Amino acid sequence: MFSRLIHRGVTSLIVLTGVLLIGFLMLQVIPADPAVAIAGPQGTQEEIDAIRRHLGLDQPVLLQFVWYIERVLSGDMGRSVINNASVSGELLRAAGPTIELLAVAMLWAVPTALGLGILAALRRGGIVDRLVMAVSVMGVSIPVFWVGLLMIQFAARTRAFPVQGRGGPLWTIDGLSHIILPAIALGLILVGPIARMTRTTLSESLYADHVRTARAKGASEARVIIHHALRTALLPIITLIGLQIGTLLGGAVVTETIFSWPGVGRLAVGSIIAGDYPMAQGAIVFLASAFILVNITVDIFNELADPRIGAKT
Amino acid sequence: MTDATVFAARGRTWRRLRRNPMMTLALGVLVLITLAAILAPALTPFDPYETNIRARLKPPGDGHILGTDSQGRDLLTRLLYGARTTLLIGLVGTGFGALLGGTIGLCAAFYRRLDSVLMRIIDVFLSFPSILFGLSLAAMLGPGLDSLIFAVGLSVMPGIARISRGAALSIMAQDYMDSGRAIGLPDRRLLSGYLLANAYPPILTYTTLAFGDAVLLAATLGFLGLGLQPPTAELGSIAAEGRSFLFLAPHVSTAASVMIFVIVLSFNLLGDALRDAGDRRSV
Repeated sequence: MFSRLIHRGVTSLIVLTGVLLIGFLMLQVIPADPAVAIAGPQGTQEEIDAIRRHLGLDQPVLLQFVWYIERVLSGDMGRSVINNASVSGELLRAAGPTIELLAVAMLWAVPTALGLGILAALRRGGIVDRLVMAVSVMGVSIPVFWVGLLMIQFAARTRAFPVQGRGGPLWTIDGLSHIILPAIALGLILVGPIARMTRTTLSESLYADHVRTARAKGASEARVIIHHALRTALLPIITLIGLQIGTLLGGAVVTETIFSWPGVGRLAVGSIIAGDYPMAQGAIVFLASAFILVNITVDIFNELADPRIGAKT
Repeated sequence: MTDATVFAARGRTWRRLRRNPMMTLALGVLVLITLAAILAPALTPFDPYETNIRARLKPPGDGHILGTDSQGRDLLTRLLYGARTTLLIGLVGTGFGALLGGTIGLCAAFYRRLDSVLMRIIDVFLSFPSILFGLSLAAMLGPGLDSLIFAVGLSVMPGIARISRGAALSIMAQDYMDSGRAIGLPDRRLLSGYLLANAYPPILTYTTLAFGDAVLLAATLGFLGLGLQPPTAELGSIAAEGRSFLFLAPHVSTAASVMIFVIVLSFNLLGDALRDAGDRRSV
């Protein structure tokens, strides 16, 4: 098990370096030469050269990349070219709302999907089953932004929920009413795939030998389903939820933009459109690294949850 | 398997597919939309770019079947030209992804020493959020056609690479690969003439199905403003334009979104039907 985890760690480090390289390249393609920009319109060639030497721009690119990694690791990701704000400061401020949105979306979507999947598996061919199958095909085909737009139209007509921005903290009425619409829109992405996977794995495990034994033993139907059948069916579902985190993160970029949610996704889109390269670089490196870290965590959980995975090596 | 059994299996798959009404519907819708997109200039009397301020945001009906947008352009015309752009981006992007993924997959199966390295990279790409590709490329190349096509290509590439590797591995076990090597053919000939020539059917099927995801990604990036810039007609950016007039004229963004939804849904239904028809190897 340890050798597998070390293997995973090394792979992730390589990927992380790749992400940093992309971030570094983003800063390299800036159309304006930073030295020229600092020297200003009156800057002479000597001054520009001096600034270049000072910034290390005359050094080999590889060395500059190493410096870049050092800076990122020490938390310095540069400053916005629009408002001179510190990139890492802005990222820290935006990370909270994004995590909040992802957590609330998963909090309602995962139990809903599990419930729908269980109902579908128990009554194969029934109404819930057909509904789950239809919703799961539609769920992966519908543009996330359309779901958001429909919700905004609905909310504006009924004046039920605010449609823009974030309210106070989550435990206040204001905070809760602001997060409901974006969290529903984002969570909907998850419901289809998870419900479908639950339906498939559960309907297989319902006919497994140990489930029949539990029934023969006289356990109640609810106990048989939850304790015996669902438990064995759970592992592929957890793996799927882990795999869906990437999709969820992508969906967050869209939902945040539509609902003006002050998270990292909106920051990334906004700064790219505004041409704020340092900010865009920071947001993208942040999103990608967060994704990689979450993936490793899911892997470790999987490793711990299933003794068979460890036994194989 | 002899040729006769291969054809028999193919015939069975086709018959099962034709019996599936959803599949027929999805295929019909796709053919219709594609034809309408190709023939757009002949089908509509309006110009997709000529603005008319006096006829802004007209509701459906009254000379314009779907009404007009914020610049007074006929919405249906915009949608047809938009579908043209979006489908073309999907096509070129998927083609690029198939070329890249197919090459990687075939090489991984052919050069066994590269296999684990290549597939590890592919695994990373496979789970990576495709919107992040779009964001990074738009940041590096600037929002536009080339960043859009690269993003779509990179997002479909890993799936195609996996399928190609799987298909190629089963071909590698065939006797004719050994005989080709025995008569001293160069790797290039073995790869294209022997491996690709026999492994391509499942790759082609999967690539067709990846098209739905490609269109959805292209439209989403267009909506975010990371794709083609206005006034270019593209389904995602038409939906984004309509967003500013969501309450005044909800038909603009709704019509564009429905169009995207119908295209992507049809492709996904097609994929499910193919899977149900028993062509498991290819999906």
